[in-house]
Amino acid sequence: MRDVAIIGAGMIPFGRRDEDTLMDMLAYASMKALDDVGLGDKSVDAVYVANMGGGMLQHQSAIASSLVDRLSLMPAAAETIENGPASGASAVKTGLLAVASGYYNYVLVVGGEKMREVTGWRATDVVATMTHPQAEYPYGITLPGMAGMFTRLYMEKYGVTREQLLAVSLKNQEMGTLNPYAHVEMALDRAGIFDLPEAVVNNPVSADPLHLYDLCPVSDGAAAVVICPLEMAKAGKGGQKSSEHANSKTPVLIAGFGQATDTQTLQERDDPTDLKAVTLAAQHAFEMAKLKPADIDVAELHDAFTILEIAESEHVGFFKKGEGGKAAVAGKTRLGGQIPINLSGGLKARGHPVGATGVAQVVDIVWQLRHELPKTRQVQKARHGLTVNFGGFGNNVLAFVLKRVEL
Amino acid sequence: MKKEIAITAYKCKKCGKIHYPFHDRCLVCKNREFEPLKPEGDAKLLAYTAIFNLPWGFDQRYLILGIAEFENHIKAMGQIKADSIDQLKTGMKVRPSWEPIRVQYGEDVYGLKFEPME
Repeated sequence: MRDVAIIGAGMIPFGRRDEDTLMDMLAYASMKALDDVGLGDKSVDAVYVANMGGGMLQHQSAIASSLVDRLSLMPAAAETIENGPASGASAVKTGLLAVASGYYNYVLVVGGEKMREVTGWRATDVVATMTHPQAEYPYGITLPGMAGMFTRLYMEKYGVTREQLLAVSLKNQEMGTLNPYAHVEMALDRAGIFDLPEAVVNNPVSADPLHLYDLCPVSDGAAAVVICPLEMAKAGKGGQKSSEHANSKTPVLIAGFGQATDTQTLQERDDPTDLKAVTLAAQHAFEMAKLKPADIDVAELHDAFTILEIAESEHVGFFKKGEGGKAAVAGKTRLGGQIPINLSGGLKARGHPVGATGVAQVVDIVWQLRHELPKTRQVQKARHGLTVNFGGFGNNVLAFVLKRVEL
Repeated sequence: MKKEIAITAYKCKKCGKIHYPFHDRCLVCKNREFEPLKPEGDAKLLAYTAIFNLPWGFDQRYLILGIAEFENHIKAMGQIKADSIDQLKTGMKVRPSWEPIRVQYGEDVYGLKFEPME
């Protein structure tokens, strides 16, 4: 297996993009990543497109075939990868394995979703189709509903409080104001959503005990990366050998990845508060990278709901069970803290166009490891990053450990 | 007339693990032979929530949902018949029934409902 590096990264601002089609967004993000690499008019060997809802939301299929045509990348191989909200990381993994195997050299991975062209009513239903079609979906359960049940159990078992959830929400929305790609660039006022009587109106219960500002927004957006063998990435960077690309930026090694699954329904887990797939995915990624949680300088965790940032920070090994919420309140997950988490604003503020999210997390860590971000969001001298992309309600999870390549 | 609860769980013939919904192989021992099992008795509420942003197909203000465990250890999701989530607590006894849970294409869809007993 060959070492594989990310040599190009691109993203378009997330949010409500009424003027763009799904294909527009996928094309814009792809072009940004391709231009970041400096491939010029050369093609790539393969294209993997992450998308969850195109079939239901846009009545569109064979999206990857459409994208290579739009970008004039023929005869590149092309596939669409659908794995619920973990589609993005699944597409990155597919590209990683294709390059690591030696079969392809240059691969474009792009994830995108256009969710705002339907009503919230319809979008909520589309996302809920990932629940069990007989044992869950007919009852009206939604992903926020699953998170609500999980949150109450987590509160009862580990003593997580609303104050701790609030700390995650405030941090991530504050970071969103510093991220030009974020869907929600609005800082929250603690008093108005928590302390004052009018907080009941400003921040109503959405999926008890979760409130409106515990949930990520429904977003449009796309993000892309270009990957190649590490040796070719070094050649391109240094220019010592002939290479296909002219990228002068620091390559980022995909040092480790892990993926694990769990039961589809919460009720069949021995302990529904135990996110086994998160633990296993992270463990596998750390083992492959020969690193430990303490070696990670910055992380992007899948905070579709504030409880998930807390729970994932414990399950990947940053904190002991029951300590993640306290760490958030103590500022340990902020820039300058023990382990900065979601400096992009996370799903909470950057937004959650489901097919794009796993790729966007990787793009944000690539920018961190290249030291390209403004100092308000940049972890100084960051060398190692972690991403966790959480599919279903924790029944299909992928983690990546990324490493800055010093040349 | 009270309708029979029309879900079937599956007990592994080798290790006794109870499955709902159906799996082709046992989640514990991978055995492929199961004995069908119908829910028995009342149930215990294991988890619950009230959702206020409902999916397409539900034309109401909110919905209370939960997971409960029957006396013969079948665990299943259902809608909860309560005016307020404040009436609920984890571990309380609930009475199951089989009632309309939504309307699709003009027809009632039946499913599990749980009513607090305390």
